[in-house]
Amino acid sequence: MTKPRCVLLWILLLLAAGGAASAQTAAEPGPSEVVNALLTRIDRLEQRVAELEASKTPGSTPAPQAPGTASEENQQSPATKIHEHDEDQSSASVAEHHFPSMHLRGFADVDFSSTDEHGTHSGFTLGQFVLHVASPLSNRVAYFGELSFTAQPTSYTADVERSIIRFDYNDYFKLSFGRYHTPINYWNTEFHHGLWLQTTISRPEMIRFGGRFQPVHFLGMLAEGHLPSGPLGMGYEIGLGNGRAGTISRAGDTGDANNNRAWVARVFARPTGLRGLQVGGAIYGDDITPTPALTGNPRFSELIESAHIVWTSETPELLSEFANVHHRDTLTGTVYNSQAYYVQLAYRLPWQQRKWKPYYRFEYMHIPPTEPLFSLPDFQVKDLVQSTAGIRWDISDFAAFKWEYRHTKRGPTDPIVNGAFVQTSFTF
Amino acid sequence: MRKAASFWTSFVVAVAIGLVCYRLSAADTTKVEDVAVVVSPKNAVQSLTLSELTKIYRGERQYWRTNLPVVILFRTPGTYERDVVLRTIFQMTEPQYKQYWVSRIMRAEATSPPTEVFSTGMIKEGIAAIPGAIGCVRASEVRPDMKVLRIDGHLPGEAGYPLH
Repeated sequence: MTKPRCVLLWILLLLAAGGAASAQTAAEPGPSEVVNALLTRIDRLEQRVAELEASKTPGSTPAPQAPGTASEENQQSPATKIHEHDEDQSSASVAEHHFPSMHLRGFADVDFSSTDEHGTHSGFTLGQFVLHVASPLSNRVAYFGELSFTAQPTSYTADVERSIIRFDYNDYFKLSFGRYHTPINYWNTEFHHGLWLQTTISRPEMIRFGGRFQPVHFLGMLAEGHLPSGPLGMGYEIGLGNGRAGTISRAGDTGDANNNRAWVARVFARPTGLRGLQVGGAIYGDDITPTPALTGNPRFSELIESAHIVWTSETPELLSEFANVHHRDTLTGTVYNSQAYYVQLAYRLPWQQRKWKPYYRFEYMHIPPTEPLFSLPDFQVKDLVQSTAGIRWDISDFAAFKWEYRHTKRGPTDPIVNGAFVQTSFTF
Repeated sequence: MRKAASFWTSFVVAVAIGLVCYRLSAADTTKVEDVAVVVSPKNAVQSLTLSELTKIYRGERQYWRTNLPVVILFRTPGTYERDVVLRTIFQMTEPQYKQYWVSRIMRAEATSPPTEVFSTGMIKEGIAAIPGAIGCVRASEVRPDMKVLRIDGHLPGEAGYPLH
């Protein structure tokens, strides 16, 4: 075979292979390709209409218009203005806002647990069934509600977890009233009752639902917004409300337990140049009147300081929070400080379409043995040293499986508990 | 020996031609075009930084400086404009974008995701009707009644323009 023939043969072979490949891919277009083709066609037709309109109207041009050179109203002919008026009529339907306009979304989970703790049984549990309602009432007023249904031994409990009406003035000042998750803690205001949103199966102990270490809910009013801080991206939240009820795990939904309002202030920064980073801190003050009353009927002034630093890019993910709960007995003046923190690390693996995310969390909680409020049987909060290791598998864009192992140590006399947990959580 | 040299020469030439053909076809299918950020001519804003634009599209900034509510008009999935906005502004994939808005709504930071529109004409109509509207269209499809914003000081077509 001569040299030119040989080259020609190679070229033909390559072209034939390329042609076969392209013919294979173009053989049967999928639904998304059809949609894309239709969208492209709409754009072309619209462009053609615009060109035809421009050619009918002397002096008008479809070229891009630089800012600052806007003299569009002066340049338009009466015919164009009439047409524009017609388009304005039809455009109302493009982004027409109906008020109120209710949007509904739900979160749910199904769990399996097995531990070596004495007296417990392994088995399945139905997690919370949560419904969210969001509805704009005008351009500047919006309502948000969150309802939860939780399985109990004899029935289901329904709870209004959040119910918020918010009035926006601008990005720097938004005022709302209602029942919130207390903005004292990153986790509490980031994941709420959406277990699918959080990496792990459970919340950290320091802010778990029904827990007593920190007030999870807050009833009152909240001002929030951005702080002028340029690339630091700072924001604030300042609230005034009822604080803890006599049963300290509950918010004072039906009225405050005393005449002293709780207050909370939080500041955080989300630097523009480091998207995913958030650093912040909060302070919360309240007077607690426990029910049933303690001997001597003491009240406790409560001051909680907290701080957090998080990196949410998922490669890696770091969540870290610390809180100090300061109680002062108003009868004796004795002061008690309890601390808790957690550090959670996770990493979204690059393989298998980034569906796998292993994680580890360490939690620590220390309550002074003489702490009167957290030592009562009704309000008990125990020391905790816990390690959690697990893996999350996102089976779809809106559903996940999580497998978790926990190693828990409570008080000095309590046995170590090991447990295996599985959860599927999703949004719908 | 001579036969082997001839074979390898022809092989290298064929591979080179194949690569050129591939590059040409690839360049043809990935036609790069700037995407213009457009607002109503009634809107006083003339330019934004990419960082400001990101905050607007992510819903972190919900009002213009004049306290006018921002209304984002976003193209439907599968369009070039949407792909560019997701890649350069959100830095997210389509599923990540959907998950992002689920979490924003559940945090009560928004009541719905941005309004999705099917064509450039609908963006044009929305911008004409809503003073606070903002949208992204191909630079070649900018209409006379859209105000094009400078992004990081650049207009579409200029060197350094970030949206393409």
